[in-house]
Amino acid sequence: MAKQAVQANGICKSYKGFFTKATMVLKNISLEIDEGEIFGLLGPNGSGKTTLISIFSTLIYPELGSLRILGLDGQKDRDQIRKLINISTAKPNFPWSLTVKENLRHYGMLYGLYGSGLARIVSDQIDAFELNDFQDMKFEDLSTGLKQRLSLAKAMLNSPRLLFLDEPTTGLDPDISLKTRLLIQRIHKEQNISVLLSTHYMPEAEMLCDRIAFLRKGEIVALDTPQNLKNHLGLGEKVIVQFLGQVDTAEIEKVPGVLSVSSVPGKAEITIDRNADSLDRIVKLFARAKILDISIKEPDLEDVFIELAR
Amino acid sequence: MNWRGKLNKYLASAYKNWIISKRNIFTVFELFFWPMISLLSIGLLTRFLKVDEGMGSFLLVGAIALTILQVAQIDVAYVLLFDMWSKSIKNTFIAPVHSYHLVFGALLFGILRGSVVFLILVVVSRYLFGFNFLAGGPVPVIIFLAGVFATAAVIGIAVCISILTFGQKADVAAWSLSGLILLFSGIYYPIDVLPASLQVVARAIPLTYFLEYYRSVFIPEPHNLAVGALLAAFYLIAGLILFDRAIERARRTGIMLRLSE
Repeated sequence: MAKQAVQANGICKSYKGFFTKATMVLKNISLEIDEGEIFGLLGPNGSGKTTLISIFSTLIYPELGSLRILGLDGQKDRDQIRKLINISTAKPNFPWSLTVKENLRHYGMLYGLYGSGLARIVSDQIDAFELNDFQDMKFEDLSTGLKQRLSLAKAMLNSPRLLFLDEPTTGLDPDISLKTRLLIQRIHKEQNISVLLSTHYMPEAEMLCDRIAFLRKGEIVALDTPQNLKNHLGLGEKVIVQFLGQVDTAEIEKVPGVLSVSSVPGKAEITIDRNADSLDRIVKLFARAKILDISIKEPDLEDVFIELAR
Repeated sequence: MNWRGKLNKYLASAYKNWIISKRNIFTVFELFFWPMISLLSIGLLTRFLKVDEGMGSFLLVGAIALTILQVAQIDVAYVLLFDMWSKSIKNTFIAPVHSYHLVFGALLFGILRGSVVFLILVVVSRYLFGFNFLAGGPVPVIIFLAGVFATAAVIGIAVCISILTFGQKADVAAWSLSGLILLFSGIYYPIDVLPASLQVVARAIPLTYFLEYYRSVFIPEPHNLAVGALLAAFYLIAGLILFDRAIERARRTGIMLRLSE
């Protein structure tokens, strides 16, 4: 049986201001993340992803529930846990006037690194995250992509066994995002660490995650592998037909296995149950029109996200 | 973790404060400009009022104490202020650190900066106003400075607790708390001139006793250094415990996250 990186049971959290009513942001969250797994947290803004990651990383505490991180008690062993984890967040912030190297050195010192060991680890991270040309640049002068790389480098200083990545590619250019994803994949592969990743980007989740939990309004509404989520939600395949002429969409809707039809003049999008043998009958209904193009699109996580976020 | 690793967890704050200070041109104001303004204005006032040597030393000791206190206390407060201003608090508190790591590292740098300011002021007051701060020898100076730095640490800790309790708006405390010390601890006047109820407050501040002790080197007067030392130790220990509790509270309430956004 796989060891668990995270075992959470009944986690609840609310925020309350001095003069405002408490707002419940996490409701009875229970989940287990295996060691060595890349686990994704998806959900719309305000669904509680950052709060959940902050609780798992012991940055903030839950009101209710029990938590074990890497087999350690989330309440009694927090100091021990903090030695074994690290975090990199979206829009990373570091002391402005410290350079890349000085920032890494400073945070390395906070983890008790010293002497030549500290120098070697800082140098290794600078190499690993391709920060050599920027190591003497102040944080305030770095581009967004470089700040993100520094944040990832900082997160690897203590060789964590569990890494929390809170929307690590938010605000990055597509090419830098892809590089960052490849970097995350490489770190995971080379060091076999467990990763909990929150993201808005479905391709990122699909590319990186072994399993995914969807959060909505502080609750987990689905948890499975990306493929199973697509299958189990019954989203169906999308048949896109471009045509000339007239087609009776009401007739198409009656075909067994057709889940929905949307059409504009010259184009129809028909969602079908992949298990039903409906494609042949649909094509026959286009007999009076001239089909210009027909394509079949598998549902992606984007569709899953839209379905679950409703 | 061996002793060098443990030591580095303390030195991390000193390292950060050092780098930030050396890159900030306005450090010159903290180290030279304001201390000189303070010393010169009080020194010139003593000339204008034609005070005797004893009264002159009374006022100059107060001016120097207040200046060193302000420099050192802001260094302790900077340990969280820099993180708060750069919204990087979560990076500090995701690491296995405690209040004492942050406070003692920052205080070390505060002692360094405070000592530099002290030496400058000692030299200037000697040559401009003929006041020999070191007349009593090194031991009273070391005891006096220890009291000033301990009080500075307590004020710095209070600022950090305010930030973690009340959030970003509390940074005003960094510059306000030393004003209360100016009012209550007999910087420019003996605390006997305060109303009786405020004298109780003055007697609760360690710096009051260290000032009385050091002034007794120039104007023989009774003092109670032991009470000052006990109070300083008590406040330091209590401050560190409360600082750790404030960190835990900020984690419970979520302020820790808000300070990073």
